[in-house]
Order: sequence, then C-alpha cells, then structure tokens
Amino acid sequence: MRSKKSRLRGAALLAGAASLAMLASGCSASAPAASNKTKDVTITVALFGAPPPKASLAAFTKDTGITVKWSTIDWDSLQTKIAAAATSNTYFADATDVDWSRVGQEGKLGWFLPMEKYIDEAAYKKDMPQLSSFTYDGHIVGVPFDSSYLVTTVNTELFEKAGITEMPTTIEQYTSDLHKIKDQGIADNPLNIPFAAAEGLSTYWYETTNAFGGSILDKDGKPQFSDSDSAGYKAAEWMVGALKDGLVPAGNINVSDSQGQQTLMAKGVVASTFADYSGNVGSLYDVPDTSSAVGKIKYIPTPGVDGVAENMSNPDGIGIPKTAKYPAAAAKFIEWFTDADNQADFAGANGPDKVMPGYFLPSRLSGIEKLTESGVLKDGKQLSELLKTSKPVFPEGAPTWYPQFSNAVYTNLHAAATGSMSVKDAIKAISDTASKLASDK
Amino acid sequence: MSTTTRVAKASPPAFTERGGRGGGKRKRIDLLPYGLVTPLMIFIIGLALIPAGYTIIAAFFRVQPLNPPDRFNGIDNFVSLFSSTAVRSSIGNTALYVVIGVGLSTVLAIAMAVTLQKKFFGRSILIAILILPWALPGVVEGILWASIWDSNSGLLNSLLTSFHLIDHYMVFLGQNQFLTILGIELVQVWQITPLSTLLILAALQNIPADIYEAADIDGASPWAAFRRITLPLARPGITIAMVQAIIQTLNVFDQPYVLNGSASTGASLTMQTYFISFQNLNFGEGYALSLLITVATLIASFLVLKIVYRPVEF
Repeated sequence: MRSKKSRLRGAALLAGAASLAMLASGCSASAPAASNKTKDVTITVALFGAPPPKASLAAFTKDTGITVKWSTIDWDSLQTKIAAAATSNTYFADATDVDWSRVGQEGKLGWFLPMEKYIDEAAYKKDMPQLSSFTYDGHIVGVPFDSSYLVTTVNTELFEKAGITEMPTTIEQYTSDLHKIKDQGIADNPLNIPFAAAEGLSTYWYETTNAFGGSILDKDGKPQFSDSDSAGYKAAEWMVGALKDGLVPAGNINVSDSQGQQTLMAKGVVASTFADYSGNVGSLYDVPDTSSAVGKIKYIPTPGVDGVAENMSNPDGIGIPKTAKYPAAAAKFIEWFTDADNQADFAGANGPDKVMPGYFLPSRLSGIEKLTESGVLKDGKQLSELLKTSKPVFPEGAPTWYPQFSNAVYTNLHAAATGSMSVKDAIKAISDTASKLASDK
Repeated sequence: MSTTTRVAKASPPAFTERGGRGGGKRKRIDLLPYGLVTPLMIFIIGLALIPAGYTIIAAFFRVQPLNPPDRFNGIDNFVSLFSSTAVRSSIGNTALYVVIGVGLSTVLAIAMAVTLQKKFFGRSILIAILILPWALPGVVEGILWASIWDSNSGLLNSLLTSFHLIDHYMVFLGQNQFLTILGIELVQVWQITPLSTLLILAALQNIPADIYEAADIDGASPWAAFRRITLPLARPGITIAMVQAIIQTLNVFDQPYVLNGSASTGASLTMQTYFISFQNLNFGEGYALSLLITVATLIASFLVLKIVYRPVEF
C-alpha cells in the first residue's frame, strides 16, 4: 500500500508535469487546421449583442447539425480579441463581428476569410445595399447582418408646440426651427449632439458633412474638409456653433451617442437628433419602459443644403476569422443568420418569441419588406425608402488607418466643443492627421 | 522516537539516504518539493516573465502588421512616443492621477483604519461594506459614477440645485483638465481605498496595546499617540498600501475611458497603449509604452519604499 507521502509526491509531480505541458502548449499555441465539416460540429459565434432565441438556434441545429455556442462580448473588447487572435494566429471564434469602420484594416491584413467563397455574391449584392461597405480589394470581408444607418429624428409634439407643422427639409430651415423651439421656451436646448470624445461624434460629423453636400475623404484618402468653404468645415462649425448658441445642452460635451438618445431624446428633453440611428423609434423611443416620448418621435428625411440629403450607412457585419476551426459551418450559420425570413423574425415580424434582443433592422431589402408587411416595423415603409438611398461614408471602403483618423476626428471636435481649441484648429489637426496617414500608407 | 523524528526533520530535505542490498548507499533527489512549487513557477514564468521578456525585446522592434516586416529599430519607438502630443498629454494626466490617487487614498485609508482599529458594535459589517467598491469592476464603477457626474441629469447637479448651492447645472467633467482628472480620480480612490484601509488596518492590529497604555500613562494626547506611535509603527502597511495605489493609478483605464471618452483632458497612458496597439495596430510602440509604464511603476514603488518604509519590530 502506498504511503500518504508517496501519493502526495505522485500528485505533486503530476501537477508539475501538467503545468509544464500547459506552458509548452501555451507557448506553441497556434490555430488548429480548419475543417470543412458542416455536420455534428459546434461553432463559436462571438458578437456584441444578445443571441437569437434558443428555439431559433435549436431549429438551426436540427436543420444543419451545427451547434452554435454564442459568446456575447462588448464591442471594444471584441475588437481587441479579434486583433489579438489574428496577430497571434490563435483560434477565438468561428464567426465574429466585422465593423464597417474596420473593413480596410481587417481586409488588408487578411484577418477574415473572403466570404465570396461561401455565398452567392451577386444575389447578396442585389438584396443588401450595404454589402459594398464590407468589400476590400474585391473581397467580401463580412456580411452585414443589420442595416443601421444614420437618420434624423424629431419630437413632433415639441415641433408642433412651436407651431411647426411642416418638417424641415433643409439645414437652414431645420436650424431656424430649433431656434424657434428654444426661443419659445418649449425646450431649453432642443438639439442632441453627442460631443463625448467617442466614435459617435465622428459618425455624427460624417452625416452632417454629407448633409452639407460634401464628403470626408477622396478615393486616395485625402481630406476634403480643409477649406473653410468645404462641407466638412461648415458641418463642424454648425455643430460647435449649436453648442455655443445653446441649441445643444452644455453638458453634452461628455454625452455619448447612446447616452444622448436614452437620456435626452427618449425623455423628451431635446426636440431632435440630427444623426440618430435607424430603428431607434421602434426599439427605444416607443418603448414605454425606456421612453417618456412614446408615439411622439418620428423619422424625417435628413435635411440637406438644398433639400433632403442621403443617409450614411453604419451597419454591423459578421465574418469568418482566418483562424476559424469550422469555416464552412460558420458560413452556413452566416447564411442562416442573414436570411430574409430569419431577419424579419429577429426584428419581431412573427411575434416576440422570435425576437433577437437589440436587433434593429434587417440588412436585406426583402427582410425589411417582410417586416413592413407584418405591420410590426414602425415607419417601415419610410425606413425601407431611406435604406435604399443610404450610402457608405467611404465609397471606396474604410481606409486601413480609419481608427486613427476617427480618433483624431472625435478628440479634436470634442476639444473644439470644450473651447480648448478653435474649429479652425480642430479641422486643421484632423486634416493634417488624414494627410499624414494617407501619405504614410 | 521523538529524537528520531527530530533528526529526520533536521536532515536536508532534497536528499535522502537509502540502503541497498549490497550495503552500498546512494543519494537520490527528492522531487516532491520541486513538484509542489512547479505549478506556481510555471504560472509565474508563463504569465509574467516570458511576456515581460518578450515586451522588453519587442519594444525595440518595429512591429506593425499593416506595414511588415518586423525589424529592429533601436529606440525609434520611444522617440516616436515622446514626439506624440497625445502621449505627452497623457503622461501629465497620469502623473496627476498618481499624485491625487495615491495621496488621497492613503490619507483616507489611514483615517478609516484608525477608526476601525478599536472594536465597536457593527465593525465587522462596516468592514464588509467598505470592501464593496474594491470588488466592483472599474467599468461598472465608471457607469455608476457617470450618473452622478452627468451634467444634464446627474445626481450631484440635482442635489446642488435642490440645496440652492448652484442656480444652473454645471459641467463637471471634460471642460477643465484639472477638475476632470480630479473627478475621475475620485472614482478610482473610491475603489482602491478599501484595500489600502485593510492593509493599514492589518498593520495597526499588530501594534501591542500596552504601547498605547504606556503613552496614555505618560500623558500623551490621542493626536500625539497617533503621530508618535500609530504612524511610525504602521509604516510597513502604509508602504504596501501606497505601492498598490501607485500600481492602480499608473494603470488607470476604465474610469477615464467610461467617464471622459478619449478626450485629451483625461486620457491616461494605458489608454494610449490601447489606442496605439489595438486601434493603430502599432504593436512595437505599444510594447515600448507598456515598458515605460512598468519602469515608471518600479521607480515610483522604489521611491516609496525608500522614503516611507521602515522595518518595525515589536
């Protein structure tokens, strides 16, 4: 019979050996060889939102033999994980987020498998207007799974109180209407602009620049907003001017996009958000639990310089990382996840049991049509029309240096809003950053 | 029997003697102690020493996946970092975080530890409640405090207005750099003070009660007892508390990121490390900045050890 000490020794040595093995495997960690199996496999899907309903995923498993392990990770952490896994060549998920703003970076680095190998590209292009935002160098990096785009929202009750019954179609008219609302004391600060130094400020400026009739970068990545008569410059002046004039609450210098939507727009504190998110009326403003302005907030076509302007798309996509274990199975999941019927289900076309929490709008036109036909989608017809005219911020695809550029946009515009620098200096700093990044690459 | 045991215990642990049939003796290494420490060593080597070594080496390389290949570039990463306005601004911000955070958390922790030194009814419950902020993740604390600092609908503005201390809502964060850093650092102080308190409290509880009794007999006032007995004898605990506060404040990330976004008024050095590494994908500079933060932590900790720490024997 072995003594207690002998057993202890054995256990200790086993632990030591196991630790050595762990270290060895950790040091040599690399992605396992990919398998094309599509039956009896489990794939990991990592996204920032909640998963589709269990019953929907179970039905997918029953149909395909693919089990889905859903991992919800916040957006920032997800981007870090994608970068860390790709650079260290380690597996972390079979399908994950492809943000429109990262397409240039991720496309150039080859961090995602080209989706055209797995999907009917022509059919997808026809039904998904925003697919072009996910293409880099002829390859589809990811497939948009929702069709978020920027759109103007107004609190019609506050507008009507100010005697405004016809909604503005130009920036000038829009600004004048906001002044009317403020001057009559209907809302102290009627406009929501999220001036916190975060991505939401950049996208707000892109939408405003487009409304002023211009673009951000040309096809070579050179800035188009340096001159004082350019649309980008005027947009920045208009935004900062609105804060100085008291159209925007002073506290908004530290308010993020979602915070402003939840605490100002949904509470009826402000009368309008110029660059709001499509889907917010149905998912936030008309939800009694989160809003005190139920039924009062409507989408309006974005006011532009000479009339209604187009909308900037801001979609979320899903792709297959190059280190995926089961890329073919992941592709089958993406096909299912972006199917028109399923998208309509996730958005609530067929009852609450099939709703995917937080899901906004289908990325397929046919998905939106199904949703509109069901009568569930608030202002569905209008959203569908607006989606058709939405266009990418960067028609040639987001540049590889987009994150650095965006950081320069929101930090400098924020500084201009706080008064620590002028709009002129802020625009110059953003423009210099873009020029340097474009020439470096 | 007991003598034998004592002898066996006194013998060197790594070697034992065993007699063979032929009467010859050979020594063999007892692997048990090594087996016991191996898991810990593996984790230290695998999770601390190897990554640290890799970071030190890679800090002198150009590692940019978007612009391959990787190559040795001497001190270029450091030169580039110091020429960046954002990094220079973050160095100043982080220095303020450290000064405010370490100073305030240490003073508060000493005060709280002294309060908790004597036993009173509900003391254990108070200590349990005290630990709560320390147990919360930084992001959660940031979100919680955002609703307090919020300039449009925050609790603080609401309270100040209710008590007629201000006539309109104020912007606390983002407008003025010092106020922004102070506001953010208060949140971190709220988080790190509980651990500092416990560390100092542990040191205070080692102080024999008869020293205080003797001081009392000699007519020392409570303030004199605090200055002449408590503070000097609590130095080891205060040192550890200050070192942990230095580590926390030099690496502050969640609170400024949640409360002030990426604005230069509050961006910290670890935030810059994140932006450089994971936004710009310039890992070489990211490694270099991480190395600088580590060196700064070591220097600051060493200074605290030299200035504050004194060995205490009772």
